[in-house]
Amino acid sequence: MATSQVLLSPAELAYIHSSLSLRPPIRSDGRTSTQFRPLTAETGVLPGTNGSARVCFSDGTEAIVGVKAEIERTRADNEQEDQDDGAAQRQVRGDWVEIAVEIPGLRDDDASTVFLGEMLREALLGDGDFARKLWINRRFHWRLYLDILLISPPLSYPLPLLSLTTHLALLATRLPRLKSEGDEDPMFDDDWQASQFLYSQNESARPPITLLVVAIGDNVIFDPSKEELAVAESALAVSVAAAASEKVSQDQGRKLKLVSVRMVDPPSRLTPPGVPNGTSSGTGAAPAGKEGESVEGVWKAPVGGTKFAILDGIIQAVLEKGGVADEVLDGLKGVELA
Amino acid sequence: MPLDTSTYSLALLRVDGRRWNELRRLHAQIRTQAAADGSSYLEMGHTKVMCVLTGPAEQNQSQRRGQTSGGGGSARDTASINVNVMIAGFSSVDRKKRGRNDKRTQELEITIAKTFSSIVHTHLFPHSSISISLHVLSSDGSLLAALLNAATLALIDAGIPMSDYIAACTAGSTSSHSASDDSADPLLDLNTQEEQELPYLTVATLGSSDRIAVLNCESRLQVSRLEGMLVVGVDGCKQVKQILDRVIREKGVQMIREGAVDRSDTMVMDLDE
Repeated sequence: MATSQVLLSPAELAYIHSSLSLRPPIRSDGRTSTQFRPLTAETGVLPGTNGSARVCFSDGTEAIVGVKAEIERTRADNEQEDQDDGAAQRQVRGDWVEIAVEIPGLRDDDASTVFLGEMLREALLGDGDFARKLWINRRFHWRLYLDILLISPPLSYPLPLLSLTTHLALLATRLPRLKSEGDEDPMFDDDWQASQFLYSQNESARPPITLLVVAIGDNVIFDPSKEELAVAESALAVSVAAAASEKVSQDQGRKLKLVSVRMVDPPSRLTPPGVPNGTSSGTGAAPAGKEGESVEGVWKAPVGGTKFAILDGIIQAVLEKGGVADEVLDGLKGVELA
Repeated sequence: MPLDTSTYSLALLRVDGRRWNELRRLHAQIRTQAAADGSSYLEMGHTKVMCVLTGPAEQNQSQRRGQTSGGGGSARDTASINVNVMIAGFSSVDRKKRGRNDKRTQELEITIAKTFSSIVHTHLFPHSSISISLHVLSSDGSLLAALLNAATLALIDAGIPMSDYIAACTAGSTSSHSASDDSADPLLDLNTQEEQELPYLTVATLGSSDRIAVLNCESRLQVSRLEGMLVVGVDGCKQVKQILDRVIREKGVQMIREGAVDRSDTMVMDLDE
């Protein structure tokens, strides 16, 4: 995992864990369970790209994403019968988008870096709509390179930061306007002012966001800080995208779509357990009680998976109208697209 | 794309409209990144680099084993300086992904690490390491110079003692090696187009003195032109040093005004100027 190990004693871990298992949970920074940390975001920071964004979280972590597009000839085996057109597009859509994640201090073929990149890629391509945007005609398509840079040292698990930055960069991505028609060689308008957004402002489709959610006890906590992640019983990466809907009415709101859910191995599993007073040789008590039994207030690394009810609760909280995903997407809508 | 250098002799103006001794716009910021010990952002024309520095900190296992880029043999008594240059895929006009093991990138890293190992007072931090991450967001010539300047600013931001600034810039000559005209002018601060066409060198000096800390030349050039280029380069470094110094001073004044740092009795700087 791409986090620096949190240096907390078993007693501190137990304290944080018990305050986060209360109902409602008490977080060390005073947030409510669905509240996000404040962030600053800007787009269009790199004039040499088709779209770019920079996001800083309040804990100082910072990421920059640049999107570059290239024209590529679609492979010949794709030219099949007309009715197969849709299916043929889907076959190649995976390699039309290339995502590279750079995390300082880690090799780019490090398992955790590759896993991060794949999670973002999966979320992006999970709904089939994205590949369709890159389709120019039957012979050519856009090839999109997403370079995701973590600038700061990886203090907390960078998935939400990278995902939000990628979201903004894709929103700001513009492609030149196509002038040619049909299957001829593509010709583009060289006026950048006439270029078109990859995600049009008018339609409701939005690129996916991946939220990091942790479960502690029966509580579901969004956007965990690194201390909270250190005591998490399970951590999930939930990807949500706003689907395109034909008629958007104000009261109906956006149509959210769950793209993927992935378990992330929480760092809490690597923490050493605490020793209860009853069994500690330091307090002079005779070692009694069974090994591995949990004692109230004594830290023990969590084992096992996530309860189904919790998983259900997480998805409910994300997808419901006015829920977390709605709130985040509304917040990101406020960022001006350069 | 080859550059048509023949137009230079007509108006004595370069492709971007500068004269021979003019620097591009140099814009710098320090303390751009809250989570790092030292950080900076530097633009030299369209070359944009970001530097994030952590340390001096305890060495981790991998650094202890591979003391390659530290530059010092007696690594236990001094701090080792590890430099990581990350050239973003979107930095050039055509996207090009460079791996970690790219030879050019490694050479940049080693040059920067060696330079700073000799300038930073590493003996004050035994058993520790200073890691410098340099992100190239956009590259348009004078890359090594920009990286050296950004690293200097980040080291100063982190408060790591060093003997003086490292100020760097490039210098070139208006005609290539084969064209042996004697009227070739030296040029200051080349961009990518000029770098591809003309012989150039990167020079870094220690502060505004004439002491050269880095001299790097990868192109063929006539030795009679070297002196002229070097003089122009060193002169450019002095200008760069002035600009870097101003950035640091402005930030310092701002931090004292905001109360982030206490005003000291020994301060010679006049805040009201």
